[in-house]
Amino acid sequence: MEKFRANLMLCAGTGCVASGTKKVKDALIEEIKKRGLEEELKVVLTGCNGYCAEGPVMSVYPDEIFYQRLTVEEIPKLVEEHFLKGRPYQKLMFTEPEKKTAIPLMKEIPFFKHQVLRVLRNKGLIDPEKIEEYISRDGYQAEARALTQMTSEDIIKVVKDSGLRGRGGAGFPTGLKWEFASKVKSEVKFMLCNGDEGDPGAFMDRSVMEADPHSVIEGMVIGAKAIGAHKGYIYVRAEYPLAVKRLQLAIDQATEAGLLGKNILDTGFDFELEIYQGAGAFVCGEETALMRSLEGKRGMPRPRPPFPAHKGLWDKPSVLNNVETLAQISPIIINGSDWYRSLGTEKSTGTKVFALTGAINNVGLVEVPMGIPLKTIIYDIGGGPKKGKKIKGVQLGGPSGGCIPERLFDLPVTYEDIVATGAIVGSGGMVVMDDNTCMVGMAKFFLEFTADESCGKCTPCRVGTKILLDMLIDITEGKGKEGDIETLEDLGRDIIAASLCGLGQTAPNPILTTIRYFREEFESHIRDHWCKAGVCRALTTFWIDEKMCKGCGACLRGCPSKAIVGEKKKPHKIIQELCVRCRSCYEACKFKSIKIMPAKYEGEPSELVGAAEAVKEEA
Amino acid sequence: MAEAAKILVVDDEPVVIKSAERVLRAEGYDVEGALGGREAILKIEQNSYDLVFTDLKMPEVDGITLIRWIKKSNPSIGIVIITGYPSQDTIKEALELGIIDYVPKPFTPAVLVDVTKRAVEWTAGRKPEEKKITEEFPPAMAAELDRVINDYKIKPGCLIPVLQRAQEIVGYLPPIVQKRISKGLNIPQAEVHSVVSFYSFFTMKPRGDHNIRVCLGTACYVKGIETVLCKIRDTLKIDIGDTTENRRFSLEGVRCLGACGLAPVMVIDQDTYGAMTPKKALGIISRYDPAIAEAVLQETVEEEIVEKEG
Repeated sequence: MEKFRANLMLCAGTGCVASGTKKVKDALIEEIKKRGLEEELKVVLTGCNGYCAEGPVMSVYPDEIFYQRLTVEEIPKLVEEHFLKGRPYQKLMFTEPEKKTAIPLMKEIPFFKHQVLRVLRNKGLIDPEKIEEYISRDGYQAEARALTQMTSEDIIKVVKDSGLRGRGGAGFPTGLKWEFASKVKSEVKFMLCNGDEGDPGAFMDRSVMEADPHSVIEGMVIGAKAIGAHKGYIYVRAEYPLAVKRLQLAIDQATEAGLLGKNILDTGFDFELEIYQGAGAFVCGEETALMRSLEGKRGMPRPRPPFPAHKGLWDKPSVLNNVETLAQISPIIINGSDWYRSLGTEKSTGTKVFALTGAINNVGLVEVPMGIPLKTIIYDIGGGPKKGKKIKGVQLGGPSGGCIPERLFDLPVTYEDIVATGAIVGSGGMVVMDDNTCMVGMAKFFLEFTADESCGKCTPCRVGTKILLDMLIDITEGKGKEGDIETLEDLGRDIIAASLCGLGQTAPNPILTTIRYFREEFESHIRDHWCKAGVCRALTTFWIDEKMCKGCGACLRGCPSKAIVGEKKKPHKIIQELCVRCRSCYEACKFKSIKIMPAKYEGEPSELVGAAEAVKEEA
Repeated sequence: MAEAAKILVVDDEPVVIKSAERVLRAEGYDVEGALGGREAILKIEQNSYDLVFTDLKMPEVDGITLIRWIKKSNPSIGIVIITGYPSQDTIKEALELGIIDYVPKPFTPAVLVDVTKRAVEWTAGRKPEEKKITEEFPPAMAAELDRVINDYKIKPGCLIPVLQRAQEIVGYLPPIVQKRISKGLNIPQAEVHSVVSFYSFFTMKPRGDHNIRVCLGTACYVKGIETVLCKIRDTLKIDIGDTTENRRFSLEGVRCLGACGLAPVMVIDQDTYGAMTPKKALGIISRYDPAIAEAVLQETVEEEIVEKEG
């Protein structure tokens, strides 16, 4: 094998590709050629690195120097400085916002420092399109051990002892699931992988499938051996073309290498794997619905029992595991259950991957030990709120989850603690919201989603979510009535009680948690006709506080409806009749002189403070 | 037929042209031959033809290049390909370019006559205006569809993959396509329709040349995709799920594209664009359509004037 002085691991995940990886790669290769370094430097395209916000990113090995926001223009300079003169190029390094010092090493950057990589162990280190690179990182060792030295019971015992719980959302113990299926006697069983990641705001599974497809395949072979299945499917969203491509490539390579297919590793064990592309239905993330969809039908859930472990796909015993769960299997087999339990808490062991997004500085994919406080994830890894903003809460678990307010951020992230707040860990979507987000609007957003995605089988879910949504729309348009909040809560509880599957049983969660923690926002929408975040247009007026306005004209220039008047250096004024309430002045003002007031507010700008009370009295 | 259809047969093997001429002339068609793409282009420049039969693998100017040229300069000419290598990729490419049918090589006279008859009817029916797919679709598409159906037929649970392929071939799933699939797979039409209507990936409306997909995920919502979407709606004058009148753009709202790190996100065809603002989004869309570029430019000029005044 050829040896290189340095490996340039360029991220080719969906995020970085959209930020321009391809052009950067061409420029890099051209520059390396121009400098005659092609025998010393190797450019490798890797899967998602996780730090999507700063893409395209690249890490240089063996020195572990991390570069971000690469541009074609900077490439010649980078190659010259780092690889000819031996001085890592500071301009493209991560710079600490406050101290302004560059941090060259990836492991010292705050975003990476708190992470522990188990699922994402190979991220950014291997070329996902080459099986050799996966094998060189101990890949397929666990499979070999499971197939040659372990019985089905041995495998199940290790997985059970590890305490691994399904990472798809519900957190059901994986070992237990396997045990149920293994005990059922049947000629035909199925091992299935759920890659139908439909949660808006979550992209963990996509990244794993793109960055380390073999780890999923290996986990499936081990699972197949444990339950005695010889056929498997990976159900992937059609919206993830890159994941589909890389998985297919990985399946072909593994089959070629004798690690998949007939008579694996000469042990006589057969396991054939196929990819099945979903067609876009959120409810297909539910296990019985996914199996219906695999059968080529409408993906509607059915009552359990019988559980899929007894009667699943085509009525045969089947096990469905999430992508992230499967990617954890091979390290557990190699290192044992005690190693796995060494992180996390008693009931929530190991690590969990979160897709951290929203109103924070560092967005991307993070893997942390379970039991870590929310605060650490959001402030230390996520870098806290954007300048001048304040974090209000975090939405966990997407449309099935709930909103956790800032004051509860000391909470450890475990299945039990999160459920106690009314949210769920879910598949790992973590969307941070700041004071620019209207919580009623947020609840409305999720209800729009679930009302749309309800499969229609159970009336409480089909009709109930629609009614909830209509009520929320009314509230955001100023047509809310006294008692609406209570009705929302009652109806929400009824839907939870009367729905068949996870979608209906969790759909009201976003409303119930926002009411629980942000009740005053609902009240101010209904009673005062005031959306304090300034998002609901019907419930907002914008006013300029003359005392604070410096007359810089920033708001005036940005106003699309030319509703702002005023001379330079003198306080400006918003003509309410012309204002379309687009918020652009609010965002543009550097002096915080724009105030968000209720819809019916008529007062003088100088009286803005405490005006809410006045309006309340009028009403 | 009032007038004999005029056919040009293009192949680098003279024997193919000779045999085609013999068979088709006997049927009363007006047939000429060209020994390659270059000669064919010159002939089409000088004469008018109703149909062109072309080989794909030819030295110099190959079949695909010829088809592209015809589609651009003389779109009313119907095209049938003759090929000894009906590989899926080349046929798919040709189908996308809008051929009517294909004849595998070697062919029997009966097959050639049959294909010619259908192709002539198809072109005659299509002129002067293109006939809509809802009523009938090119035999080659039908053949490709049937091939897909046959390939998948034996597999359990094949309806969804077949529908996905069908949508790739035809572009969308009108009733006529669903009917064919229903027959081919022996599944009731109602069931096929129930699956089509259930999954958001399937569409029964034709799509435009470029498909704009706007992400409606949570991260994009928090970061303000609404304003981007409004701007696109206003500019293209279409709502989610619609196609512009000139069939250039379709607009779709999708549930999370999984690129939340770049929110708000928009995808056009296969390319992902991150960190969108209304202005940036329009700038990107205008790359696909000069008319929109002009409108955007006009707006920017106006804004600049305002800015200068301010």
